[in-house]
Amino acid sequence: MKQKLFFAVVLVCSVVVLNFFLIRLAPGDPAMTLAGQAGGADAETLEEIRRTYGLDRPLAEQFFVYAGKILTGDLGTSYYFNLPVSGLILERLFPTLLLVLSSLVISVGLGTFLGVLAARNPRGPLSYIVTAVALGGYSVPTFWLGQMLILAFAWYVPIFPVDGMAGLRVRGGLNQIVDVAWHLVLPALTLGVAFMAQYSRVSRAAMLEVLDSDYIRTARAKGASEPAVLFVHGLRNAILPVITLVGLQLGQILSGAVLVETVFNWPGLGRLALDSILRRDYPTILGILLASAVVVVVINLATEAIYRSADPRLRSGGRH
Amino acid sequence: MNRLTGIAAFVPRALRAAGLAAALCVSAQIAPAEEPQRGGELVIGAGYTPPSFNPAVQSGFGAGVPGAQLFAGLVRYDTDWTPQPYLATDWAFSDDEKTLTLHLVDNATFHDGVPIKASDVAFSIRAVKENHPFKTMLEAVDSVETPDDGTVIIRLSHPFPGLMLALSPLLLPIMPEHVYGEGDLRTNPHNLQDVVGSGPFKFGEFVNDRYLTLERYDDFFIEGRPYLDRIVIQFVRDRSNMALLLKRGEVQYNPFTSLTLREVDRLSGSDGLVAVTEGYSGIGAINWLAFNMTRDPWKDVRVRQAVAYAIDKSFITDVMQLGRSVRATGPIAPDTPFYTADVALYDLDLDKARALLDEAGYPADADGIRMKITIDWIPGTIEFGKNLAEAIAAQLREVGIDATVRSLPDFASWNTQISSTSDYDLSIESVFNWGDPVIGVHRTYVTSNIRPGVPFSNTAHYSNPAVDDLLERAALETDPELRRQMYVEFQKIITEDVPLHFLHVMPYHTVQSSDLRDLPVGIWGAMAPFDRAYWAE
Amino acid sequence: MARDPAFHPPKSPFVEAMAIFLGNRAAMAGLIILAVVILASLIGPSLYGVDPKATVNAPFLPPMEDVASPMGTDYIGRDVLAGILSGGPATIMIGTSAALVAVLIGITLGALAGYYGGLIDTILMRFTEFFQVLPALLFAMVLMTLFTPSLRVTIIGIGLVMWPPTARLARAEFMKLRNMDYVRAERAMGARDRRIIWRVILPNAMPPLIAAAALVVGVSILFEAGLSFLGLGDPNIRSWGEMIGSNRDYIFDCPWAVFFPGIAIFLTVLGVSLVGDGLNDAMNPRFRER
Repeated sequence: MKQKLFFAVVLVCSVVVLNFFLIRLAPGDPAMTLAGQAGGADAETLEEIRRTYGLDRPLAEQFFVYAGKILTGDLGTSYYFNLPVSGLILERLFPTLLLVLSSLVISVGLGTFLGVLAARNPRGPLSYIVTAVALGGYSVPTFWLGQMLILAFAWYVPIFPVDGMAGLRVRGGLNQIVDVAWHLVLPALTLGVAFMAQYSRVSRAAMLEVLDSDYIRTARAKGASEPAVLFVHGLRNAILPVITLVGLQLGQILSGAVLVETVFNWPGLGRLALDSILRRDYPTILGILLASAVVVVVINLATEAIYRSADPRLRSGGRH
Repeated sequence: MNRLTGIAAFVPRALRAAGLAAALCVSAQIAPAEEPQRGGELVIGAGYTPPSFNPAVQSGFGAGVPGAQLFAGLVRYDTDWTPQPYLATDWAFSDDEKTLTLHLVDNATFHDGVPIKASDVAFSIRAVKENHPFKTMLEAVDSVETPDDGTVIIRLSHPFPGLMLALSPLLLPIMPEHVYGEGDLRTNPHNLQDVVGSGPFKFGEFVNDRYLTLERYDDFFIEGRPYLDRIVIQFVRDRSNMALLLKRGEVQYNPFTSLTLREVDRLSGSDGLVAVTEGYSGIGAINWLAFNMTRDPWKDVRVRQAVAYAIDKSFITDVMQLGRSVRATGPIAPDTPFYTADVALYDLDLDKARALLDEAGYPADADGIRMKITIDWIPGTIEFGKNLAEAIAAQLREVGIDATVRSLPDFASWNTQISSTSDYDLSIESVFNWGDPVIGVHRTYVTSNIRPGVPFSNTAHYSNPAVDDLLERAALETDPELRRQMYVEFQKIITEDVPLHFLHVMPYHTVQSSDLRDLPVGIWGAMAPFDRAYWAE
Repeated sequence: MARDPAFHPPKSPFVEAMAIFLGNRAAMAGLIILAVVILASLIGPSLYGVDPKATVNAPFLPPMEDVASPMGTDYIGRDVLAGILSGGPATIMIGTSAALVAVLIGITLGALAGYYGGLIDTILMRFTEFFQVLPALLFAMVLMTLFTPSLRVTIIGIGLVMWPPTARLARAEFMKLRNMDYVRAERAMGARDRRIIWRVILPNAMPPLIAAAALVVGVSILFEAGLSFLGLGDPNIRSWGEMIGSNRDYIFDCPWAVFFPGIAIFLTVLGVSLVGDGLNDAMNPRFRER
């Protein structure tokens, strides 16, 4: 485990190095973008901006300044807002987590349920329907699905809101929770569909294997009820691939969030990422890439820990 | 007060009448005069979150709309280009036009309760001169003196007719020196959070990329104002979401709307919404086609004129833009004091275009093709950039010019192609006049402003000593009528030389609830104080 | 039926796999969908004969209102059906090229890591992990912005974020196969590593890789659409994603101009996925034995 931690740190460091140089070596002048945002530029303004943001220093020096700041938890200052990047990221963390975790609940819950049902009778009609839905959910472009849901349930039948995460006039108490939940329905569903498809596939495949095992035959022979066989005995043993997938999904938090947050005006990290890219706000982009790399590394370590405790073979110090 | 100076006093009468008619039209459309109602909340939709709410460091309407609520200015403007008292009760120029003396109201306070003093005004002028992106705006200001707390004397190095316009809250917000005086103004945290201003509304809460709330400032120096209790600016990036929010009444006021003209057409008159076109004369946004005069064939004036004759401007304004835009005839926007329509107009004439191209030595080949060219547009401007480029490309094919629309991915690459490397043929650009020609017009025509890398500089590489001289003199001319004549002359020369071909005035609209009254429709439109705005009924 | 490949190098796994594949109804459905999509993209534009870039009709024309534009027109009167037919080749080309880039990188690195093991394996796998901790779409977005989007940048950008799963799969296959008797036999006969890797092991490792590659094509198509939708693609390439992105501002006026390209992407990715799944079932021996 110690070694894994060490590699995790090395990994995060290399993310910092690569991203910094990638962004700085790319063509295009950030000073020009900064000046353009203020409403215009002349040569003196450009010079001044370069000085203010340290863009006139040698690249290596800029890197060491940046790296030094990161060590103290300072991710730099946003070119666009002139605010600390860490603050901008923290502000968006909650909306994104809310969205991603809700969609996770939907996709894991529904997906696994469908997968288990389908595995029970691999040649039955339900199995085919589940497989079809799964492939469909996997093949549909997320952003397009979101846009279609808005068209259907906000324009033609106006029942869901589109003003981001919460209504402006709803404040405090239970009302606000209900309001946020109501805002959450369409985006969480959109984000959940693609992953639901994968969970149903994975859990179906895993269950097929488990249901074939002696263990289940024994359970059945002992007279366990069918739901108990499926969801207690079966699922417990088929859960590992699902856990792996949860880890993978969380690792790709931002990829999905960018598209869904853009479509639904959701004030999360994904939208901040897109906006920062469009604004050429390099410190913020670097900060988001770094933050998400850290999150992924932590999740990977966690998944592995859970995996160890869930898999009897690994627990007994088997092959690894 | 001896003489109200500035361009405003000499607005042609006809134009003033037109402005008045427009103003009447709006109020007639809404309701006859009634007693303003106190109270209520207004939700404004904004298309992007500006990096700052302080117009001293940030131009554009993202900062301009909230900025004019948070900060008061020395003077304000209605529809007719005449400065009205605001923080300044009265003002006078010296006879040589190089000294302006203003007197301030005595009961004005900043939002932290500290009285507004002449020294704060002097600080604000210095700060804007140093930090505002419009470098020419206060260039003439030499020094500012404050003999007492209620008097400000601005000394100029040379007469500057555009000065009064620059004293609007939009361009010169009055800031408390004790808050904004420390350190670099551009990175002052109070530009975005906990803004301490001087205007009718004070800073409430800002949640990044979600909303900004502004609360009524109860101690505002104009008695009884503002009428509204609260303003919420909601940031809505997505156009279709904005349309939905307006339709549902969740956003009630959307100036500089990002909606498509078709959407504007459909929304206005239904769902309790109206579309207002007034309030955009000050920025004077013109959409034009620029020629790259550093390369052939555009060095030849005949080719430029031929292109101008080949473009059907009325198709653009009447068909493509649903009759919601008007033609631009020259470098100065209609509805402004120096405008003239008496210039070379280049109405559609395909035969003349073909003749000019023949004469210039570009005969048609067997396929009827004379030349292959590209047309660029500013990334992000679909309706008034890309669509227009595609329409113009189709029109130019009629006279044998094989034009391809080139789409660049982002502003930075566009700027590189157009202003840094001058690697383009034709380019569709919309550029703002910003009230006085010195601020927004001169920059795209004078030889001295051919500055590679600077967007919206003289990127056509137009250079005409006569124009340079004319504009230099016009910038200093204090007699409004003489100054007007110079700009008329300038418009004639430019339209003859065609470094740019003028297409249309940007059809900006404000989509708003029909129950709203007296939101500003002056020259700066929504970038002016909302202290008179109220809800009917 | 069970064979031990360690003793008998599979002689014609493809023939056998093909039989299984052809018996798979879902895979056949996918194949038919794909065939229709590809055929429509190849001969559709010339058959339909409408210029996808030109204004050919009134803007915002709903589908079926004018027989000349069965899928309606977009916001400047371009024919939606013509756009879909001509957007097909661009979309499919980007999808397959990006997948090819990903698979080439993935197989190369995976093969080297799996074959040599040890330090090389450790280094290459750390490198792979490195690419896996970056959120794929976000990283592709950054690449697209840093290097002006063009066809090449789009393909390489997508390919660069797509290869790690293929590399892992290739590594696993190579690790499994490198100790097979026929590989050992080759080595005993003095074959060089290069020959063993590319000529001996790779053909046998190919089946699962091909199946995986098909899935990468699907994901690449979705990626390209997503990038275009966000406005980060090359605006000069009229792909389906670009159609959705540019018509999105007009979604309430011509929803069909967003709806149909989305359906086209959906069907294509569905076809590719079905075929990929079918290939996987047919070529993955573990499943074959069931």
